[in-house]
Amino acid sequence: MEFLHIAWAYKEMLLVGAATTAVISGASILLGMPLGLAFAFGLVSHNRPIRLFCAVYRSFWRGTPLLVQILLVFYLLPSIGLDLSPVTAAVLALILNTSAFQAEIFRGGLSAVPKGQVEAAQMLGIAPITIRRRIVIPQLLRLVTPAITNEFISILKNSSIISVISVTELLRTGQQIVSATYRPLEVYGLIAIIYIVMNLVIAQLGRRAEARLARGARA
Amino acid sequence: MALNGQPRVELAASDREVVIEVEELTKTFGPVPVLNGIDLKIRRSEVVCIIGPSGSGKSTLLRCLAFLDPYTGGRVSIEGQLLGYKQQGERRLMQGHRELAKVRRNVGMVFQHFNLWPHMTALENVALALRVTRKLKADQAEREAREALSKVGLGDKAGNYPSQLSGGQQQRVAIARALAMKPHVILFDEPTSALDPELVGEVLGVMRQLAVEGMTMAIVTHEMGFAAQMADTVVFMDRGVILEQGSPDEIFKNPRNDRLKQFLDTWRTRSF
Repeated sequence: MEFLHIAWAYKEMLLVGAATTAVISGASILLGMPLGLAFAFGLVSHNRPIRLFCAVYRSFWRGTPLLVQILLVFYLLPSIGLDLSPVTAAVLALILNTSAFQAEIFRGGLSAVPKGQVEAAQMLGIAPITIRRRIVIPQLLRLVTPAITNEFISILKNSSIISVISVTELLRTGQQIVSATYRPLEVYGLIAIIYIVMNLVIAQLGRRAEARLARGARA
Repeated sequence: MALNGQPRVELAASDREVVIEVEELTKTFGPVPVLNGIDLKIRRSEVVCIIGPSGSGKSTLLRCLAFLDPYTGGRVSIEGQLLGYKQQGERRLMQGHRELAKVRRNVGMVFQHFNLWPHMTALENVALALRVTRKLKADQAEREAREALSKVGLGDKAGNYPSQLSGGQQQRVAIARALAMKPHVILFDEPTSALDPELVGEVLGVMRQLAVEGMTMAIVTHEMGFAAQMADTVVFMDRGVILEQGSPDEIFKNPRNDRLKQFLDTWRTRSF
């Protein structure tokens, strides 16, 4: 009963914490998407320097721990004169991180769109940018929806790490409640449940997006 | 080809304007030579069928005529314009996509695997290039797309997605898509090879109709019956060269080249 009591007593704090987590993760995923798409096209570019640059970017953000990345962004940017709030630094780090993972997801999707479809479009005089926008990307989105849903779930969970730079998201809200109630087990249990509920919602949204994008699909 | 016993085009074939001219064409994939010096003229309203064993380079030749595979040496001209390259002094540079699209503007292509866009309906597949390449307004594009679909007998399937159509129907949509651009020549790359046998006829029927109407066509095919009946010129290729070319009668009834004889024998044995 202690559990429900805490949940009720701190409901506003918990809601704000959950909302902060949701907004930060959602913003990171959405803003990281165009960036990831751009890097995916960069990874398959015919231009060697572009390809190399994108590969290095991808390897750095995929190959270092998120915690290190957050601390780097948080401490590095002020040292070059950019004064960022913790929330901005956190979102920036998450965007850069997820864009690398999304680039790989999109790159995989790109190779699954048959080359012949692009050739058919070329033969009809359709410009490369239009081919991407009208033919490749719509199919790409369908192909990558399950993987992007996964990535969204990862980012939502990983966003708990930004509590280290004192962003009051869901986990840090929990820590504050613990220091007031001295009930770590109940509080962290509660926090875990809230994470699960949010991720179930994301998974459900992902399934709907998949069903929606599947209409007509498959050659 | 004959219609009611009358020649399809009264003009002597050799007087007609050349649409595609191929001179000393070579193509290598890395160190591997695929085309070893091809010379070919395709004239207005001519139906050219390219036959030959697998790996003879016939599909590669067709793809070079569309510059989907860049050729290595020689030249391909479409209605007098050099395809794919521009001469800069001694050097030959690849054309940018705009220049290339301009030279290819009147060339349509139909592929073995149709290459329809699966997330668009038949109508959208046909209408897209009308909107973005021919810059037609939406209603005009839709009208012309519907016309093209009716022409291939699919006026009632405009709203279907490719997955809701049979292979033969998909290929007819692909033909309509090429046709709607009002090309001067259409290249067919084994248009019936991916189809179930009972669906081949409907596609060949559409192609026959186009030939009768005077469309210039280059067709890579294994359909010897179609080639014998519809072609003005049959081209036999093997190992990257044209070994014999002539009228269907010359090629099928009186072949001179030994490898062509052998190829036709194999085909005849197989079709019984």
